[in-house]
Amino acid sequence: MSLRSEEVGFAVKAEPAWTEQPEPAEKVKEIKPTETPAKQAPNPINELNQPGIAPEALAIPSIGLEADITHLGVTDTGEMAVPDNGDELSWFSPGYRPGQRGRAVIAGHVDDLDGPAVFWDLTELEPGDEILVSGEDRELRFKVHKMESVPLDLADVDSVFGYHSSPELVLITCSGTYDYDRGTREERLIVYASLSEE
Amino acid sequence: MKKLSVSLVAMLVLLSLFGSLVMADNHGEMAKVRVLHASPDAPAVDVYVNGDLTLEEVPFKTDSGYLEVPAGTHDVEVFAAGTEYAAGEGVLQADLEVEAGKAYTVAAANLLESIEFVVAEDSMEVTEGQAKIRVGHLSPDAPAVDVGIIGGDALFSGAEFPGITDYAEVAPDTYDLEIRLPDGTQVLPLEGTELAADTVYSVFAVNTVDSLEVIALVDYEAAASPDEMPTTGLGTPQQPQSMWLLIGGALVLIAASGFVWRKRFQ
Repeated sequence: MSLRSEEVGFAVKAEPAWTEQPEPAEKVKEIKPTETPAKQAPNPINELNQPGIAPEALAIPSIGLEADITHLGVTDTGEMAVPDNGDELSWFSPGYRPGQRGRAVIAGHVDDLDGPAVFWDLTELEPGDEILVSGEDRELRFKVHKMESVPLDLADVDSVFGYHSSPELVLITCSGTYDYDRGTREERLIVYASLSEE
Repeated sequence: MKKLSVSLVAMLVLLSLFGSLVMADNHGEMAKVRVLHASPDAPAVDVYVNGDLTLEEVPFKTDSGYLEVPAGTHDVEVFAAGTEYAAGEGVLQADLEVEAGKAYTVAAANLLESIEFVVAEDSMEVTEGQAKIRVGHLSPDAPAVDVGIIGGDALFSGAEFPGITDYAEVAPDTYDLEIRLPDGTQVLPLEGTELAADTVYSVFAVNTVDSLEVIALVDYEAAASPDEMPTTGLGTPQQPQSMWLLIGGALVLIAASGFVWRKRFQ
């Protein structure tokens, strides 16, 4: 089946290659020998288990980016927290995990006191570019499918950090001109990527 | 596989068209809809929304995942895959009304000769730390069933075709569930069912009674989101002081020239 819409990530429904393997083995053991073999079909509800990973590092080969990821939550003012340096990325850890259904969000600075920072080149991404996220001894492959630069006041935070029926990765950095009154750039560049079917 | 890549390209084209539209709307006015093919003897189908081919070759037992659609009423029409579109000629048509911020499952159910839509609103919330589940009876010739713990209480009683029950909230755990007749005869075992915290499930019994099977879908998984976007720039560009000096200088000049002018006309 194919789908013509925004939800390109739908194809991910097929069981990804990285789904944890040990579990079914355990379940087989639990089945009592008295039961008929026909009933050993995997439980379709358990097939839905898709926990994702706690990300440790991110790479975007097309723009030569490699960076470590820290796990952060919110600031005192309710913003998504970001690293205190221009080299690292932060994953919004109270939100969705990369590889879990929903939008996992990773942010990085566009610049720091010395000039360009880790996400300076994010604007150069093209649809189809790969983003590799690794952690827990696994690597997940995402493909960029949408980019938008949104004025800060119009950003739909609930949607950007929200549920999605397939795993998505969202990268955020600052863009637009600097607003001296607010002490930040006027826009946010938001990159949406879907988990690739491997 | 080739077909898939072709349609992927089509999707990307549509996506780029869609993207700007959706963005202009600022997602607030959107609803979520997923389509489920639950008609056991119907072929794969194409689904047209407002006359546009939206889902292609959806086979039996497959769902589309949630699609974002604008709130409002949409003409949803189902055709056998590959059939040329003609308004009103589909095997199934409905004007589907969807509200902003809500999510829906639209199932094509029953045997082909009497195919029908079964529509339910899906839950996009769950009490923190709990699991939520409901069942849909979409097996056209199966009798009313209960779903419950093997040798224990029923979680859902008297589910009948074509119906989707309300949700039941349960503690996250592993349950030995079964689908059974009200007299206790087991129809389908679902042993070792793991229901995870913060997750909403829909479990649909599909196909004819002699080959009854289950489609399980996640409706929603809860996670936190912040109130505000991150501040992702550590640099503060230099205040363009030279600019202000220039403007200031210009003002002084204008003022001075005004002074000269006035002086001349006095």
